[in-house]
Amino acid sequence: MTITKLSKLTLTMGVGLTLAACGADSGSTDSSKDAGGFDASQTINVISREDGSGTRGAFTEITGVLVKDGDNETDNTYSAATIQNSTSGVMTTVAGDPTSIGYISLGSLDDSVKAVNIEGIEATAETVQDNSYAIARPFNLAHNGELSEVAQDFWSYIMSAEGQEIVVGEGYVEAVTDAPAYEATDGMSGKISVVGSTSVTPVMEVLVEGYTALNPDVTIDVTSNGSSAGMTAAMDGSADIGMASRELKDEELEVLTAEPIAIDGIAVIVNTENSIEDLTMEQVKQIFTGEVTTWDEIAK
Amino acid sequence: MKTKKLDGFMKGVFFVSALTSVLAIILICIFIFAGGVPFILDYGLSEFLFGQKWSPSNTPASFGILPMIMGSLAVTFGAIIVGVPIGILTSIFMAEFCPVWLHKILKPAVNLMAAIPSIVYGFFALQAIVPIMRQFVGGTGMNMLTAIILLGIMILPTIIGLSESSIRAVPRSYYTGSMALGATHERSVMRVVVPAAKSGIVSSVILGIGRAIGETMAVVLIAGNQPIMPESLTLGVRTLTTNIVLEMAYASGEHREALIATAVVLFVFILIINGTFLIIKKKGAK
Repeated sequence: MTITKLSKLTLTMGVGLTLAACGADSGSTDSSKDAGGFDASQTINVISREDGSGTRGAFTEITGVLVKDGDNETDNTYSAATIQNSTSGVMTTVAGDPTSIGYISLGSLDDSVKAVNIEGIEATAETVQDNSYAIARPFNLAHNGELSEVAQDFWSYIMSAEGQEIVVGEGYVEAVTDAPAYEATDGMSGKISVVGSTSVTPVMEVLVEGYTALNPDVTIDVTSNGSSAGMTAAMDGSADIGMASRELKDEELEVLTAEPIAIDGIAVIVNTENSIEDLTMEQVKQIFTGEVTTWDEIAK
Repeated sequence: MKTKKLDGFMKGVFFVSALTSVLAIILICIFIFAGGVPFILDYGLSEFLFGQKWSPSNTPASFGILPMIMGSLAVTFGAIIVGVPIGILTSIFMAEFCPVWLHKILKPAVNLMAAIPSIVYGFFALQAIVPIMRQFVGGTGMNMLTAIILLGIMILPTIIGLSESSIRAVPRSYYTGSMALGATHERSVMRVVVPAAKSGIVSSVILGIGRAIGETMAVVLIAGNQPIMPESLTLGVRTLTTNIVLEMAYASGEHREALIATAVVLFVFILIINGTFLIIKKKGAK
């Protein structure tokens, strides 16, 4: 018992040092890992994102943590779950705590944590693309069918090979494979307003940069105020293009024409020491609603 | 004639400078209250203050901030228990018992503590306190006790600095009089000088409370942030400040208004704390 405790202490110190020394101290972490092993009887520490986060919204909806009952929606996320308000916060916590589990955008995944397979499918750009990886959400753009000439040109730029290359460069999966090359039309000028999801905004800003480099006379305003606000603005015409980090609702689709620009997988991540490789959707749901609280209940 | 004109001009400059801070506080009051009070009235004051469920993404959403109010109070109370004895004893030591060479090191050290940005304290706690807590308490190591220890450390410079200067401000005749009556150095300090500095020391504690309750960036990293009633020292806790900073980025509509209303509650807390500080200071001046 004391030896396990001691090795755990060395491990945590090792991880701390590793973080402090930016990975220069990987040797000590490895050696203590061999000595300690993974103790599956430990409590699962659930790490979630804050209310209102697009990632949390998509994750709870896809995994069934969010229960819909008529007009009522209840987010059943485990009340003892630690809340981190950024992707990097979730990753740091999971990297430092052998028994924790969290979820992040696939684009942000790196070696500090381990992504588990969902229903036996590894989370990669390919599996997200062919729809076999279950926890994925589209980044959608929508307009109300009355695009101005310049907005139409921007739209086709996003869906072109150049635009999709930027999407991939930002770490997402492209929505359009073998897209046509973009052909710049001379003399494009005017103003475009793009409104919506905070999750789509970073990639949209890079797209805007790329487009305005080719068409310097076009100004594009990007406002980031959430998917629903973006769809509302696109419907009533106060914005040319709306952005949503989720599927469009039926009442939105009645008015709007939507097209996905990227697909973002959500990776379920655990500590690199954790021996768990696979989880089913049901198990993910049970963990994040607090029905299952120790790792050996999963391993059974 | 020329100097008179310059005098008048400079008077104006000073007046405007003084006005700026007053104007800033009035503007802050107006914006916070205008943003938050309509929501509170709409949602219901008692449901907002005493509701135990915070789940803004549910439909219908519930915005009860009692867990956060209790969280703030519990963490602050804990920080006082950790920080006040250490702080006051340190200040007595620094004012009355400390050799001059040591004071030359201690004083700048305490000042430096006050100047360290709170996010740095947060990282320190994340790297040092959290792993130790994980080892001995279990869980993620992000719990109320971690937050209390960190805040206890963070309020030290406030308490030490103010207490030390109030102890030094006690007229030296109190001390020499006590010594002349045959009391020892220790007895004179503890029974005469420190009680005479009481109001200054209490003020320092109240400012420490203000610092602890308003602290955000350090706490958000290490408190776990679960919006549940604080039941145990080893469970996570969410304070009023962290509730705002956690969710403000993505919040919209009613959710955003609820967060501004949380700021109103926090603002009222700070007003009460500063009011108490003023009253005690006034009493001490008499």
